[in-house]
Amino acid sequence: MSQPSVPVATAPAGPGLARPSTRRTFSDQRRLFMFLMGAPAVLYVLAVGVWPLAQGAWYSLFNYNLLKPKRTQFVGLDNYIEIFADRSARQAIINTFQFTAASVSIQLVLGFLLALLLWRDGRFNRIALAFLLIPATITPLVVGLIYKALLGADYGLVGYFLAQAGIGPRTGLLSDASTSLGVLIFIDVWEWTPLMALILLAGLKSLPTDVLEASRADGATAWQRFSMVIMPLMLPSIFLALVLRTMDAFRVFDSVFVTTGGGPNDATNTLMVLAVKEGLQFFNVGYASAIGNITIIFIAIIASVLLLVVRGADVRINGK
Amino acid sequence: MAHVSRRQVFAERTAVLIITVIFLLPVAWLITTAYKPSNQIFSIPPRLDFVPTLDQFRGVLAYFDVFSLVRSSVIISIGTVVLSLLLGVPAGYALARSKSRYASFFAYFFLAIRMVPAIASLIPFYLMMRDIGLLGTWWAVIIINTMLNCAFVTWMMFSYFRALPRDMEEAAMTDGCTQIGAFWKVAVPAARSGIIACVLFCVMFSWNDFLYPMFLTTLDSKPISVALLTAYGTKDITWGSLGALAHFSTIPIVLMALFLNRYFVQGATNGVQ
Repeated sequence: MSQPSVPVATAPAGPGLARPSTRRTFSDQRRLFMFLMGAPAVLYVLAVGVWPLAQGAWYSLFNYNLLKPKRTQFVGLDNYIEIFADRSARQAIINTFQFTAASVSIQLVLGFLLALLLWRDGRFNRIALAFLLIPATITPLVVGLIYKALLGADYGLVGYFLAQAGIGPRTGLLSDASTSLGVLIFIDVWEWTPLMALILLAGLKSLPTDVLEASRADGATAWQRFSMVIMPLMLPSIFLALVLRTMDAFRVFDSVFVTTGGGPNDATNTLMVLAVKEGLQFFNVGYASAIGNITIIFIAIIASVLLLVVRGADVRINGK
Repeated sequence: MAHVSRRQVFAERTAVLIITVIFLLPVAWLITTAYKPSNQIFSIPPRLDFVPTLDQFRGVLAYFDVFSLVRSSVIISIGTVVLSLLLGVPAGYALARSKSRYASFFAYFFLAIRMVPAIASLIPFYLMMRDIGLLGTWWAVIIINTMLNCAFVTWMMFSYFRALPRDMEEAAMTDGCTQIGAFWKVAVPAARSGIIACVLFCVMFSWNDFLYPMFLTTLDSKPISVALLTAYGTKDITWGSLGALAHFSTIPIVLMALFLNRYFVQGATNGVQ
């Protein structure tokens, strides 16, 4: 290090002695203050969030049923093995992955298109976006009810016309195993595409305008500008939108629970719906906790994979 | 993007308008069912012309104690907002200003809590509330809502406070302001828009959620979201009355989101810029 800085740092011996000591106490005070500001929230989340999770992890090792608490036995990892052995649970895992992959990727494409369309700044677009966000604001429960009412084959507004035109199954799109998961994906896309567009739009608006202007001045075509300028710069926003929506889609519960309840024949069962049914309707606390923990593990894996993929894409495109 | 033809702007706006209408049609349908006479809601073929009536509302008000349902929703929302902000705003500030190397660990800890599926902690929490006798009360819902929402508020306020310059607070403290004073009189007013966004998102969460209150409340303490779910299975409940009941659940939250749209946008896109 440079010579002069050393004596300066150690120099104040006599009269300056009081100074560093007050500074020391100030930084101690500051640390204590920060601790007191942050500790309540941390303690609260530990007590109400993490402690129940730890209990859940413990319960998942027992065949604990609330209706027969006396028969509780330690079963080790049997609950976890049962998830992969049970046909209905395996179906729930497949459904959850299918639902998440399909709905998030459709939302990403449609949301990006919508964001590009709304890019031009102005009052008109701002108001339109505010109204577009209404599906994301209202209760997911009401969303489920709306589509349940609309799509019923016997009396639903859309269902009736589809049935008349001979499109889709006779029992209605939501009550046929071949179409119900697709309808749920559609509902999710309808509900969340505007929010996806909003996140991507914020990314578009923060792009450096000089770069965009320069590429335009250089005579790049619209596609070139999109693929070579906009896309690479948008990767962080895309990543954020993908992670947020994937986490939410993977935990889908409300719309499924209201419209199909997981049926027909497990065709729309998801991990969350299965866990709620097992835990809070059949009171199989051990098994339900195991499903909850498996879901957490899946979410953690997906988040890490997304992070790695986007890092990789960033390196390939931006070379850093 | 200065030079664009009028025609292009017109085409874009038309497209935006059509898309907006498509997205809003299902909601509009539900709202209008509430004003149709019962025999016309599912008339076959469905008809679009009808004489508006308030019969559905009369039916709903006679069948449900709507006042009590809305009151439960309001109490749960207010309780959650107040507690989440009291815990989350100071914590977010501490994480943003702390020089400790654990600060970013805790920030991500709060973010991770948001990602955990509700069911994983709901069953043990249910048993916990049963053991301490809070099951069936508003408190049970408020306590678990606050856990998720204070984690969200902490993360959100962490990124808001981090973006604020420290100079103002440091100047205030040099002028003899206490640390709490610098936080309360300087930092909090400067982060006002972040706090409003937090309030909006906490209210939206607690007003709309039905999984927690479905299992944690009783007949007397259930909020409007749970009533909608249970109403659906009931024989006397038609889609018309559901539409009417949905008014009480959706209109307040939609108005709030439209009115505070600026903060909705800020909150939802937090972390992008």
